[in-house]
Amino acid sequence: MLRSVFRSSRVLIGLTIVGILVVCAIFAPLIAPHDPNEQNLVSILLPPAWSEGGDPSFLLGTDSLGRDVLSRLIFGARVAMTVAVLASLGAMIVGAVLAYIAGYFGGRIDALIGRAVDVWMSFPPVILSLILMVGLGVGLRNVIFAIVAVDWTRFCRVIRSEVLVVRRKDYIAAAQLMGFSHPRVIVKEIVPATLPLLITLLSMEMGIAVIVEAILSFVGMSVSANTPAWGQMVADARQTIYEAPWNLFLPIFAIFLAVLGFNILGDGLRRTLDVRLIARGRT
Amino acid sequence: MSILAVDNLEVSARIGTARIPVVSGLGFTLQRGSVLGVVGESGAGKSMIGRAIAQILPQGFSVTGGLSFLGQDLIGMPAEQRRMLLGRDIAFVPQEPLSGLNPVLTIGAQIDEHLARLGIGAKRARRDYALDMLNAVRLPRPADILGKYAHQLSGGMCQRVLIAMAFASRPKLLIADEPTTALDVTTQSRIVELIRDLQRSEGTSVIFITHDLRLAADISDQVLVLYAGRLAEYGPAKEIFADAAHPYTRCLQLSNPSVHASRIGLYSLPDRMPGISALGSIAGCLFGPRCPNVIDACREKTPRAVSVGEGHDVACIRSDLTARIDPPLRQAIDKKPYGASLLTVESVSKTFSMTSGIFRRTNFQAVRNINFTLQQNEFVGIVGESGSGKSTVARLLCGLETATEGKLVLAGRDVTGGDKVSRQHQRAHIQMVFQDPQSALNPRRSVASIITQAMEAAGQATWRDRLAKAEALLHEVGLPSDAALRFPSELSGGQKQRVNIARALCRAPEILVADEIVSGLDVSVQAQLLNLLLRLRSERSFSMVLISHDLAVVRYLCDRVFVMHKGEFVEAGPTADVFDHPQHPYTESLLAAVPRDFVADAARRDRRNGISPADEIV
Amino acid sequence: MLTTIVPLIGRRLIASIFILLVVSVLLFLVLHVLPVDPAAMSMPPTATIAEIEAHRREMGMDQPLWDQYAIWLVKLLQGDLGTSIHFKRSVWGLIADALPATIELAFLSMLIATVFGIGGGLLLFASRGSYAEPAIDLVTIVLLSIPEFLWALFFILIFGVALNVLPFTGRLDADLRLPEGSNFLLLNALFSGQFAIFWNALKHMVLPCFALGIAFSPAIMRVLRSSLIDVYQDDYIHLARLRGVTETRILLGHALKNAILPTLSLMGVQFGFLFGGTLLVEVIFSYPGLGSVMVDAVRNADLPIIQAVGLAYCVVVLVINTVVDTLYLVLNPKLRAQ
Repeated sequence: MLRSVFRSSRVLIGLTIVGILVVCAIFAPLIAPHDPNEQNLVSILLPPAWSEGGDPSFLLGTDSLGRDVLSRLIFGARVAMTVAVLASLGAMIVGAVLAYIAGYFGGRIDALIGRAVDVWMSFPPVILSLILMVGLGVGLRNVIFAIVAVDWTRFCRVIRSEVLVVRRKDYIAAAQLMGFSHPRVIVKEIVPATLPLLITLLSMEMGIAVIVEAILSFVGMSVSANTPAWGQMVADARQTIYEAPWNLFLPIFAIFLAVLGFNILGDGLRRTLDVRLIARGRT
Repeated sequence: MSILAVDNLEVSARIGTARIPVVSGLGFTLQRGSVLGVVGESGAGKSMIGRAIAQILPQGFSVTGGLSFLGQDLIGMPAEQRRMLLGRDIAFVPQEPLSGLNPVLTIGAQIDEHLARLGIGAKRARRDYALDMLNAVRLPRPADILGKYAHQLSGGMCQRVLIAMAFASRPKLLIADEPTTALDVTTQSRIVELIRDLQRSEGTSVIFITHDLRLAADISDQVLVLYAGRLAEYGPAKEIFADAAHPYTRCLQLSNPSVHASRIGLYSLPDRMPGISALGSIAGCLFGPRCPNVIDACREKTPRAVSVGEGHDVACIRSDLTARIDPPLRQAIDKKPYGASLLTVESVSKTFSMTSGIFRRTNFQAVRNINFTLQQNEFVGIVGESGSGKSTVARLLCGLETATEGKLVLAGRDVTGGDKVSRQHQRAHIQMVFQDPQSALNPRRSVASIITQAMEAAGQATWRDRLAKAEALLHEVGLPSDAALRFPSELSGGQKQRVNIARALCRAPEILVADEIVSGLDVSVQAQLLNLLLRLRSERSFSMVLISHDLAVVRYLCDRVFVMHKGEFVEAGPTADVFDHPQHPYTESLLAAVPRDFVADAARRDRRNGISPADEIV
Repeated sequence: MLTTIVPLIGRRLIASIFILLVVSVLLFLVLHVLPVDPAAMSMPPTATIAEIEAHRREMGMDQPLWDQYAIWLVKLLQGDLGTSIHFKRSVWGLIADALPATIELAFLSMLIATVFGIGGGLLLFASRGSYAEPAIDLVTIVLLSIPEFLWALFFILIFGVALNVLPFTGRLDADLRLPEGSNFLLLNALFSGQFAIFWNALKHMVLPCFALGIAFSPAIMRVLRSSLIDVYQDDYIHLARLRGVTETRILLGHALKNAILPTLSLMGVQFGFLFGGTLLVEVIFSYPGLGSVMVDAVRNADLPIIQAVGLAYCVVVLVINTVVDTLYLVLNPKLRAQ
């Protein structure tokens, strides 16, 4: 199974894109040619180096405060990737644990968790995360917390219905008859069966987390203003849309690339891991 | 006049770059108004005949040869012309009636669509016609049925609707592909009767595809026995049934248990029919590797069909020896004295309360006041149709459900409450063999890990211990020890069921609860498993509660039987008594649904084995 | 059919009220328990502690939390959503002005998402097994990776800035006056016969609506495609073919009616998200709807607005869900029976 995963071209493309962004994020201080917050008020809104009026020391130009766009993009990857990884892992853990409990035990606890999901789903995620950020105040940790608090339902809904399918399999009853305790049945029999779905969802959720973080930083409710973030760059560039449209294009492209990377990876994983899809391909 | 002429038909599948003939060298003619039974186990290629006639095949399949319907070449004709024949001159009745109807359209809308296509003009006229059709298939209150959806009808009713649609155009040819397999026994016989009646009154020719030789012999004029996509035997139904000329036909008969006799052992053919990918690797006769009469000459070339009687062809070079294949005697494989009483079930009931939402509840009584006892080494059967509550009984016994009323005493201990200690007690004494091996084996575990899961639960065992234990158990259930490290997906249905049994035996329980363990398996594989259970009892000593809808299987294995209907035991007693002299009308109706022709044959077989039916006392 | 559906819808509405109640508690808790001090935030940074305390009392924040909630809820039920701290204006009025604009925006976007989603899904399905399938499939993933606000910015760059063919700020050109009456601008202009205004407003909605519609259609396409593939495995499709039903009729008359069901339940969820997506799209297009009000309120820490607008979003999402559920019940006889 693992071999087929790494043979999938989608998985490889996705991993490559995500890998590049992660490297940028980790080694940002080494890669970035400038301090992302260093202002050069004499050279503001420079176009990319290769076009007319460009300065070779600012490869992708500068923004309205004369900060190096390339460096800001590279540092922006830090926030994006940190949020993507931590927030989606958190959302997965909360959502999946609740889904396993609800789907496995059923009855009242399931109904209760189901209602909680209903309540959450009645909020558009963007609105809920914005409100949470108002309550929590800006900062990286709070962004991650807000996304976890909003997006656990995405995992919970999907995993729960998958657990219900697995739960009905006779091998679950067999495991109980063999003397497995409930937690053990969940961990040894149900979690492995839902793992492919979980991994796929996780990858997709990372893309979603990047988007949500960008939205929040666009309205200034994400990390503090002196930490570069892609959404913030979009918001800044929007002010100078006529003078420097490329400034708007670059962070848009960065966000798109990150989301695309996670989505292609997720789709590749889904195709190689999804048992049902494999079965369908065979018939 | 011949309706359908099939000549040297070949259906081949493309696998990789190779083309493998799934059906090959098939030829027969179907006369007007006659019924052809096509018999074979799963994978024999019997459904391919219907698909080839309609030319609706899975991707990568192609048809060659002669296929002529009323003198028109079905293979060569343009697709549009063929489509015009479908549903008009050639009609189909499917295997799964419930899923054969579109779930979101009313029955009326679906019939109407069909009638409109047949060119019945006015909406009003179509409705009248539809009502007549539904009357003809003996559906009560047809006007109501038109407004219903498939899920509101039973399987039998859906099948009647589909039969009505099939006969709506007075087709020349009807192809019924296992039309009763998915239905309960009592419904089965009524559906068969209905098809036969309509066939006779309309003069329709029918191709009746089934895995059940008995049923085919019952309904057909001619029978065609298929093995691995090749014709094994073709001839008049009664003749084939009374005097099978191909060893495969004979073995099929001998491996099929009967409701009316249990003293003869079942013949179990070794191994199973080769799958598509294995076809190329067998030299000569494809049945050769399993045939009891095989000689070297069989492996040299594929046998041609030769005539052994009027209109009776057989593809075997040693067909004269077929009649000498005999079933084993039973005394040899089972005799085990009963021991102490192990299990007492006293007025047990089970009511399910379904929660919908946090506060709402609805109740449903699945099991009502059942009583029985089980002794050591005793095999008892519980028979009933789907929804009778028999599976709930199985789950109650194993402790997967807790009884809402009554008392369950197991090996001297009351385990009704379902507390932790009683559960542990139950698990040590009772194990379950599950119905569907597909669902019962975790696809992510190796066979050894599945079989020894009980050791994993207990904790101490090392992997080496587990592997040794698994190999020992595999040996017991007749699987090679190298199966231990394989995964369920690499096993056949019969092999999976053996693993299923091996797992249940791991803790050496005194009682096995087996829920429909052979349903859905081919007869030859079923016979292997039934004999395996008898052998295991003689070797190991355990009792069994066998839950089944198949009366013949219960008769073969069980000494006592309980007939279950709507959650209650309506009749109980020694199997021979209950099945030969049923007291309750429900038992009678169950028995009446089994094709009767077999009785004479069983008697004949018994005489040959030197046992008269009167000897039968268990 | 009506007799079975109405009670189910009724139950659904009761559940919605329950959900709204829980939502209001949660909203209140988030905004009052979490470490933020609205009183301090709504004062200039130079304010003394005493001034903030006085302000806190004025806002009723010195009382126990449950009392505050009860007061808020009672006022809410009386139709009093409080007064904006920043604008010093009734929150109810603000919402009444902004909500119709957002609803028009969302409704047209959903229409576009539905048309693109279902049309695209059918095309995707039709391409199955062809050589173009992997390429088309990859395109849908690319589309899936572009959220609505990126489409919005992209459209502004291309159609607004580069080509300058469509307006991208506000609901109307600056020289046009909003017509009297409700803020359902399109309806209002249409029914009062002011076609110039209608046309102008429609032009202003093209970019935001397509940004939202296109962003939310790929998910619908993909679900429709995979449900069609599932449905085509079913026996009744095979049997219809054996009855000689044409392929077109099988697709439109048999398969689509089944495949639309899972698609519809996804659309319910997607439309909830879409409604949330209007927030940023409105900000980007300076469109005076709920989103713009919300973002302003967030920037000003205008608690009464945030609370009320948050609740307004929930109400609309619940309405969307109820409509989708009703449609689902109408189309799915199996669910109706239960």
